[in-house]
Amino acid sequence: MKRIALLAVALGLFAGAAAAEDFPKGPVEYIIPFGPGGESDVSARLQQPFFNKLYGQEFVVTYKPGGGGAVAWSQLNSMAGDGSVIMGVNLPHIIIQPKQENVGFTTEDITSVYIFHYTPDAIVVPANSPYKTLADLIADAKAHPREVIFAGSGKGTGNHLAQVSFDKLVGMATTYVPFKGTGAAVTAIVGNQVKAGWSYTTAAVGQQGQLRVLAVATEERHPAFPEAPTFKELGFNVVSGAYRGIAVPKTASEEMRKKVSDAIAAINANKEFRQKMIDAGFALVDIPYGKEMDAFMAARAEEYIPAAKAAGVLN
Amino acid sequence: MLGYLLAALSPLNIALALVGVSAGTIIGAIPGLTATMAVAVLVPMTFAMAPESALILLGAIYTGAIYGGAYAAILLNTPGTPSSIGTTFDGYPMAKKGDGDLAVSVASLASLAGGLIGAIALLLLAPPLAKAALAFGPVEYFWLAVFGLSLIAALSTGEFLKGLIGAAFGILIAMIGVSEVGGAVRFTFGSTTLLGGVETVSALIGLYCVPVLIELVARPDRHLDKPAETRGFRLPEAFAILLREKFNLIRSSIIGTLVGILPGAGGSIAALVAYSEARRSGKGEPAYGQGNPGGIVATESANNATVGGGFIPTLVLGIPGTPPDAVILGALLVQGVRTGPSLFSQGSSIVYTFIFGLFLATILMLPVGLMIGRFAYGAIVRAPKAGLVPVVAFMTVIGSFAIQNNLTDAGIMVVMGVVGWLANRRGFSVSPIVLGLILGRIAEEGFVQSWTIGDALGNQWAQFFGRPLSMAIIALTLLSFVYPFVPQVKRIVRDHRAGIRAPMLKRAGGAAILRDCIAIGVMAVIALTFLVQSHHLMAEAAAFPRTIAIAMLVFCMLAVAKVLFTGQVSEDLSAGSTPRRIAVPIAMGLAVALVPYTGFAAAGIVMSLILMAVAAHDRLSVSSWIKLGLSVAVIMVLFTVLFRDLLSVPLPRGMLFRL
Repeated sequence: MKRIALLAVALGLFAGAAAAEDFPKGPVEYIIPFGPGGESDVSARLQQPFFNKLYGQEFVVTYKPGGGGAVAWSQLNSMAGDGSVIMGVNLPHIIIQPKQENVGFTTEDITSVYIFHYTPDAIVVPANSPYKTLADLIADAKAHPREVIFAGSGKGTGNHLAQVSFDKLVGMATTYVPFKGTGAAVTAIVGNQVKAGWSYTTAAVGQQGQLRVLAVATEERHPAFPEAPTFKELGFNVVSGAYRGIAVPKTASEEMRKKVSDAIAAINANKEFRQKMIDAGFALVDIPYGKEMDAFMAARAEEYIPAAKAAGVLN
Repeated sequence: MLGYLLAALSPLNIALALVGVSAGTIIGAIPGLTATMAVAVLVPMTFAMAPESALILLGAIYTGAIYGGAYAAILLNTPGTPSSIGTTFDGYPMAKKGDGDLAVSVASLASLAGGLIGAIALLLLAPPLAKAALAFGPVEYFWLAVFGLSLIAALSTGEFLKGLIGAAFGILIAMIGVSEVGGAVRFTFGSTTLLGGVETVSALIGLYCVPVLIELVARPDRHLDKPAETRGFRLPEAFAILLREKFNLIRSSIIGTLVGILPGAGGSIAALVAYSEARRSGKGEPAYGQGNPGGIVATESANNATVGGGFIPTLVLGIPGTPPDAVILGALLVQGVRTGPSLFSQGSSIVYTFIFGLFLATILMLPVGLMIGRFAYGAIVRAPKAGLVPVVAFMTVIGSFAIQNNLTDAGIMVVMGVVGWLANRRGFSVSPIVLGLILGRIAEEGFVQSWTIGDALGNQWAQFFGRPLSMAIIALTLLSFVYPFVPQVKRIVRDHRAGIRAPMLKRAGGAAILRDCIAIGVMAVIALTFLVQSHHLMAEAAAFPRTIAIAMLVFCMLAVAKVLFTGQVSEDLSAGSTPRRIAVPIAMGLAVALVPYTGFAAAGIVMSLILMAVAAHDRLSVSSWIKLGLSVAVIMVLFTVLFRDLLSVPLPRGMLFRL
């Protein structure tokens, strides 16, 4: 018994030592906590060829959907920390979900090593909508409380929290109707089933001509929508969206975390990659592992949790 | 146009279409491997191709997978993909009677016709049809789901109340886990295992396939009746059936195309709607549900028509019509192709080359499908039970894992299998449960959304009943609910006029009545549990499940009253060995439990050893045991390698064995 235990420890040490050496040392399994076809999948697919070009190894993209991502995140720490597995992380999901109920993980359990982009929030209306500007929409919402109906993706999600926060900021009352995913919400907006939508620039990219973007929650105008003003230009200090990044199991050594972080940073720095992401409607950010990540997560939590309470998804 | 046709017919594209259709058909035939997955697996390969060729390959594999689902439905009573649920209703009874080859040929021809009609709609009518799809709002989706549920009246032959109870049970099960629209965690009983909910496809596999396996080992009779001699493809017979069912074929293909256009509905609903319409107008022998080929014509033409239909919103609006379309849309985005109205209106070469490629793939599906179908039929008819049972059991376990790469799903599949068997036994047919499972989520989503909108506008009545499209669907629903009872009512009226008193049916024995009451009581307890559990939820998350649970309780009370009053009990008392039956789910559960330690292949082999012993009723010589055992083991290892390396499913590596 003792000998087996010793052997296990030795093996573990050996594995640990090997793991610390380099990344990637073989194909890397890149787990998407959702099904195929969504924004997380598309991002991974865009990163795939650049990772291969930079490191000569493959990203093997696999899917582990369920529970709005919670199924995959709750299993993250039982996976190998040797750099052979990385997992996508999404905000606000990993901050809100553990506060709602026991979902098998806490925000602190997730070792995020890099946040690489966000899909900026945007208010969109059907192309034939009477709202030509954000001011039109706000005026109508103030005159007719609750009757301006927004579609968005899910409850307690980026879209929902954006709606709640913006209502409060402006001092208006609108109605939010949750749909199953961005695609379903956009369908309802294009089909005039609702008056407007909280959506993302990535969703609006494929709908040009059918949707009008009234405002985008970026610092500066998004290159894919040169006509659409930012909230900031219109006098509202809103820069927000759904953030995406990479996490590793917590058994990964400090060195490994740093190395994965650097690898994702290198992809994000590639000029051709940046152009592709921007064309698809993403807005790139660079939050590496370490103090910056901790500060970023803390700031987001401060923003999301009160909004989620106001939205009624947290007690 | 001719230029696009010629571009589609390049040797490379023909080769891609052929490879895509063949691979898709095989993947679709394996329970658990869905069209969505088939498409997702191929996506990385397409990045190196021209966009047209990539689309043709993806379209071919998609259409093949939808078709391939029919084999498992016909030969094993297990829908290979959710789109072929309806095909089990008549396909499996046909196969049982020894007409499996004919059923496969009818399915092939119907799929071809449906696929072509869907593709024609895509070619000629895409922009106006896409516009029409946008008229469908949350209320319409809610009523569409209710319309789908009205099929229970037709599907639960004889036992309407039990059908309603089953459907409510299915809906409640669908509510488990994180609710996407309500944003709440529900009915997980504190366990994180249930967080992801009951995945539909794995539940389907369990509900349909496991009871078949359990009954297969219980008695020594053959799985499917074996024909006296080989009879080829029986194409002339199949043609004659299609000619006779031509109205059914065209109607079902149109239904499939239209439902395919609606984002979020999909092939399973299209096939079920087409089936109910076929059944309503269908005459001839045998009755629907007992092996009428018209049922296969309806479901298989409708589900393949959804392929072309689903591409309409995908390409015209940039909104995926079906889940596989979402993956294809993502692949296009990565390639830098912008979908949207301009893609169509500017007559982009990509779109038209692709559409002709889809025609090509659909036509190639016929020879490919007939060959693969013949092989599958031959293999399943000839296979000894002791070989068939472990192989199918292994496919269901590894297939349920592969849907979400989650072992929990495989466990839930086995549990649902036991539930399905018990339900069958006690006269609850499985199909209403499945309907509830699939339609429950759509109904709830539409309901919560419509309610929110109606509440904001202060007029619920106008919201739910005031829209013209909704009214049309409500009328159809009423018709579909009432119609199955018309013959019964007519007979009673006629007998009454003629002065004939209905003969008193014999009352069942006290024991049977008690058994029935206990079964209904168990259902009532389940309803109560959900009712209590919904107590602490926020209003939006609780409203729908609470309503369903209360309705289920009412149905249970009515059912008990009916049993006590009329003394009529429906149950299945087919004979067979109970220990053998019990061994099936135990062996499958054991395999699921072993996977983390031994990996899939070794767990499968352990399960096979048990199942071979359980399934064998004849004495076999030692050498034939060894031969059988070795071939089963080889199949398990091959399957494991296929899943891991060809389909890149991240199978857990066992601690003891790497496979």
